[in-house]
Order: sequence, then structure tokens, then C-alpha cells
Amino acid sequence: MTRFIHSLSLTLYSLIVIISIIVLTYIGFSYYNKPIELRYFDPNYDLLKPSGILGHGLGVIGSFLIVVGLFSYMIRKRFKVFARVGVLKYWLEFHIFLCTLGSVFVLYHTTFKFGGIVSVGFWSLVIVWMSGVIGRFIYIQIPHTIQGRELSLREVHNYKAQIGLELRDNYQVEITEIEASRYSSQKINQYAENRDAADFKKIKHLIHTQKKISKRIERLDTMQNMFKHWHVAHLPFALIMLVIMVIHIAVVLTFGYKWIF
Amino acid sequence: MPEMKLKELLLILGLFFLCTYQVTAQISPGDLSNSHAYLEGVSNCTKCHDVGNKVTKEKCLACHQIIKTNILAKKGYHASAEVTGKECVVCHNEHHGRTFQMIRFDKKSFNHNKTGFELKGVHARKECTACHKADFIKDPRLKKKATTFMGLNQACLTCHEDFHKGSMSSKCNTCHNFESFKKVTTFDHNTTRFPLLGKHKTVTCEKCHPTEMVNGKPVQKLRGIQFNNCTACHKDVHDNKFGQNCKKCHNEESFHVVKGMKTFDHDKTNFKLVGKHALLACKSCHKTSLTAPIKHDHCSSCHADYHNKEFAKNGISPDCNQCHTNDGFTPSLYTVEDHNRTKFPLEGAHLATPCMACHKLQGRWTFANMGENCNDCHQNIHRGFIGDKFMANNNCKACHTVTGWKNVTFDHNKTNFKLDGAHAKLQCSDCHFKKNDKGVRVQQFKGLLTDCASCHKNNHRGQFEVNGKTDCLRCHSTESWEKTKFDHNTSRFKLEGAHLQVSCKECHKEVTDEKGKYIQYKFKSIECVVCHS
Repeated sequence: MTRFIHSLSLTLYSLIVIISIIVLTYIGFSYYNKPIELRYFDPNYDLLKPSGILGHGLGVIGSFLIVVGLFSYMIRKRFKVFARVGVLKYWLEFHIFLCTLGSVFVLYHTTFKFGGIVSVGFWSLVIVWMSGVIGRFIYIQIPHTIQGRELSLREVHNYKAQIGLELRDNYQVEITEIEASRYSSQKINQYAENRDAADFKKIKHLIHTQKKISKRIERLDTMQNMFKHWHVAHLPFALIMLVIMVIHIAVVLTFGYKWIF
Repeated sequence: MPEMKLKELLLILGLFFLCTYQVTAQISPGDLSNSHAYLEGVSNCTKCHDVGNKVTKEKCLACHQIIKTNILAKKGYHASAEVTGKECVVCHNEHHGRTFQMIRFDKKSFNHNKTGFELKGVHARKECTACHKADFIKDPRLKKKATTFMGLNQACLTCHEDFHKGSMSSKCNTCHNFESFKKVTTFDHNTTRFPLLGKHKTVTCEKCHPTEMVNGKPVQKLRGIQFNNCTACHKDVHDNKFGQNCKKCHNEESFHVVKGMKTFDHDKTNFKLVGKHALLACKSCHKTSLTAPIKHDHCSSCHADYHNKEFAKNGISPDCNQCHTNDGFTPSLYTVEDHNRTKFPLEGAHLATPCMACHKLQGRWTFANMGENCNDCHQNIHRGFIGDKFMANNNCKACHTVTGWKNVTFDHNKTNFKLDGAHAKLQCSDCHFKKNDKGVRVQQFKGLLTDCASCHKNNHRGQFEVNGKTDCLRCHSTESWEKTKFDHNTSRFKLEGAHLQVSCKECHKEVTDEKGKYIQYKFKSIECVVCHS
């Protein structure tokens, strides 16, 4: 996957989520904004109620997206058989996208009515989603290979050294004496003199990478510890959410709410 | 890793039960409304929810028996076409919070006709709560429910007090409309056994259907009104004299319009038609209407007092029947004896005088203040001719009596001229009435001279005058002209011999001069040759 396609896919993920939120808000703002006691009398009640054609659909599709996003990523990540299927980073992004979009759909399916056992599921979803966001932050603080394998401190130092060498050998920029993290924009700009723009851009990128790696090296231990504990928050709530979702689905199916089926 | 997974699993389970501990009974999608709040809880879900079939009306109606009963009986809004076939939850949803209004509709636009009870008239303008309130609900289960719209039936008396206190049908709209109870517009009295005819149509109901008190409350009596006879309502002003069948003479249009007058027996009234009354046309007495009450205690009730209270005593006139009968005003019952008891008894010629001669002088009968003196009626023809000495105060009775004008009782001897002889046999008028030169009889009483010549004509041509006057009584008396007391021997020529045998006229012959004939008694000479040739 080229960088462009990657960027395009990320943009598409974001747009789909944002547009979904905008469209669903637009359609149901009047309904969702009403007190619960008055929603029944809204013209869109039959459409947007949790058991409505759209409301229920959002729940079904949202749940489906979450399940797909969760299990696809888990399978890819946990089972070695699929270790070579796609890049893990992209699977993670796809996992985030599906679970975020699914969460949005489920959120609108709940019609922002949080109560009962479903609320536990919902708040679990919120926690999972929030922890996902935090995990993602922590995740990117820990350098990984392109395959998603976590780099060791030594490998990171080597990577940093490689960049330092590239800067020194190719562009005559010596930054070993001073930590890259302390490079200011002004200092970087001094390397623009007597160089073409492409070289400067490359230098600039390398210095930034150097800065980024330097900062990550500084936080690596912390982040690695946090990431271990993050799993304790993200995964259990995801399972709680799934269990409650299953219970919820079981209950509504028991009582005959089958959406379009 | 196995330790890690175990820890994670325990944590998951711990969190799950921790999170769900408080909400194990709350798989519900939201609070039930207050009405159903008692059904909260997992164990109650299936009381409303049908497994595999959402919420069915059978479950609802299993509790809401009253509605079910109505639906089965096809009564009320829930039995209407708009509701039939629908699930209850379509209108009465749940799980929208405690304060959710399960029964909510636009009361102003709600088509009440669908309940099977069309709102008409005042009903359409009333607030819902005017009827849908506990006071009008009998079912104790519904009576407690403050906001229920059930529990009423279509019978008017469900909400309205029975004004008639059970005396009438409970179907008020048979007679009343929905605008006003007071106006009985839908009732057709003609459908009753007593159709309204004539004036009965226009009288107010209260006239025949009075209000009476029942259990201390006024109730208009609409049933049980007797109507077989008119007298059930109408007073029999005839006191049953004509029987109870008023319709023989009257109809419903008016009591004053009377039919069958030809057969009407007036004698059954308090005023029998007698005499002239029997001959009169009804209208003669019954001016306005045959049935308008007419006073008949006195004749004056109908008849004007011809006499203008001439007979009134203390302002009150006696009734006509004291003098008159039904056979006519004339003749009257007034007798001479009655007249004689007045201040002016009838005597003499007055007895033979017709009443009208005195009492109808000006073409009109008059009885009062007639006067008691003769000249109140009679003209005093002697006024100015007889002096007050003999006719004081124009008193005719000084000379006349009631037996006749000619029967004069005047004592002529009181005058200077005593009546004797032939004079005493004469009528007054013989001396006192004479024709004048114009041939008109004129009277003379006073100033009439007493000498004979003033009345009698001197046929002797002044032959016996002495100093220009002739004293008739020298020869005549008042007895007769013929019988004289003349003694011929006292004259110059004494009768002797054959002269005694000779009749007077042999010597005293009738002679004629320029004034006419007369008998010559005196001769210039008494010589024989005067007579004897």
C-alpha cells in the first residue's frame, strides 16, 4: 500500500465517520433533543426509535461493524496463521475505523438513552473506544516495524544512529552533540543555506524523525509499561460490551424485535 | 501469558458483575410510565411482552379487562374502525419514562364520533373533564383513575341528573336536544295519546304539566296527566250543567268559539231565556264572544238605565224587574196602587189619564221630580186673568179638583157677584170666556163688572134706561129672563078691561129700526089710536 492510498484510506475512514455523525444528527436532531417522555410524539419516532427501521438498523449494523472490526483485528493479531495477512498497522486502523463507526451507529441506536443493562454495554463501549484512542496514542509512541512488531530500545537506538549517520554523511549535518529533541525550527532552518530545497526537505524530515525518536526513546519505558496495562482496560471492557450486546440482542430477539427480518 | 489471561478473565468477570449488579433487573429499554411502574423488573417482562411476538394486545387486554369488555361489546372508541385491528402499543407506547403520557391526544381535534357518542350542541363546547370525571363513573375500578376517559356510557343520566325523578324514559334525547334541556324541541306531542291541537299547541308545557315536589325537589309532572275530559285541566265554568263533554260546544282552537248553537240550551245556564230574551240574537247580549262571561244578576248588567238613576236610592237604582218583565219594558208592573203610595196618589181624572200623558211629555219617559203641584204638569191658563186673591200661588185647587177641570169648586159667593138663579146653573166659561172681535175666545175674571149689561145684551134699545143705565133687575130676576116682575099697572098705562086679556105682543110689537128688530115697549103716547086705528 502506497503512502497515498494509506492516506486516502485514513481520510475515507474519517470522512465516513464524520459524515455519518453529521447525517444522523441532521436527521434525528429534533428527535434526540427531545426529552425521553416526548420522543414518542415526534414524527420521526417510528424511524429513529431503537426498534425503528433506522434506529434498529443502526444498532444491527453498528454491532456488526464492531464485531467485525474487533474480531478481524483480534484474529489477525492473535493467530499466527494470519500473521502475514496485511500489515498489522492497517488492520489496527481498519479496526479503529469499524469500531468507531460501529460505536457511532450504536450511539444513535441508543438514541442517547442510557439506562438499564444496555447502558453498561454502552458505557463499556465508551470506555473501550476511549481506551482505544488512548491505546492508539500509546501505540504510536512505541516504535514498531512496518509489520507491526514492537522495536526494542536497542533497535530504536540503532535506527536513531542510522538517521544520524545519514544526516552526517549525506547532508553534513552533525546532530550527535545536541539532542535532536532540542532542535528548534530556527536551528533547522540554518541548514537551508547553500542547499536545494529537496535536500533541505529531506534534512528537515530526518531531523524531525530524529527528534521524534529521541522523545520516544525518552518515554519508551513508560509507554511500554502503560501499553501493558492498557490492554487490561481495553480488552475486558470490549468483552463486557460484547457480552452485554449479546444479552441485549438475545433479549430483543426473544421479544420479537427482529428489525427487517 | 497464561497468568495474564487468567487475570484479564477474572477482571472481566469482576467488572461485568460489578457493572451489572445494580442493573440486573434493568434490561428494560426505559422506565415504565407511572401506570405500569409496578411492572418494572425482569420478572415482569413477559407480563406484557409476548415471547417472539413483541407486545400483543391480548397481553394488554388480559389486564385491561374493561377495555376488552367494551371491544367485545363493540362499544367505545376502542371498538371503532380507527382502533380495531391495531395493537395497543401503537397508541399506548411504553418505556418512555415515568411521566410519559400513554394517553395523549389533541382533545380539541379528537373526533368523538369514533367513540360512538357524537358530541352535539353543548357537549361539543364543553371541556372533556366536564363529563369525564369521577363523579359520573360508577365502576369503582375506574372511579379511582383521575385521568380515565372510560367509565361513561351513552345514557344521558350517566352525567345528567334525572330531572324527572324516574317518571320519564331515561332516553332524554327523545324529547330534548343537545343545546338545552329547557327547550324540548325533539319531542312531538302528537305521538302521544294526546295530540296537541288548536290552542294546546301554543300554551307552555307548564300549563298542563305542573311542577310538583318530589322528595323535596321540584319535578315537572309529565306523565299521568288525566286528559280524558277537558275538565281534567280546565275548570268547568258551567258547573257541569252541560255535562263533561266540552267538545259538544267547544273545540281546541278557543273556548270562545262555540259550535252547535242551534241546539244550545240556554236554560241550562244561570240565565234562562224568557220572554223577549228568547227572541234575541245571541250577539245582542254576547257582544264579544259567546263564552265571555256576562253579568246577569241585574238587568242593568246588560241594559242601560233608561231612567238615568231616577229611581236610585242612596245612589243605587232598583233593578228593572221591579217594574218591568222579560216580556217587554211596556207595560210595566207599576200599578195605580204603587203610584198611590207615592207623594202623588192618582185620583180623579188622573186615574184615567195614561201614564205617558204625564210621564212622557218630551217624548221621553220621566218619572223623577215630576212635582206635586198642578202647574208642574198643567199649564195655568188663568195666569194673569185671576187675581192672587182667588188663585194664590197658582194653586189650581182653589177652583178645580182632580175629577175634571169643569168641576169647579170655586165659591163664587166670595166674589162681589153671588151666583144665583140661572147664573148658578151656568158654566164658568159662559160668563168668563167670550169671543173677542176676532172670534177668539178670551177669558176674563178679574175686572169683570157685575152689572147685567156687562154680560147680557140689552135688547130693549135703551127704552128702560134711567140716567143712561138700564137696571134689568127692575123687571127681570136671575132666575129667568122670561119671568118678569114687571107690574104694568106701575106704568103710565094700567091694564084694564080687555087689555088684561090681550097678550103682550099684541100691543108690544116687534119693530125695526136701523139697528135691527126690537120690541117696542115704550110709546110716546098712550093714546088708544097709537094701537088702535
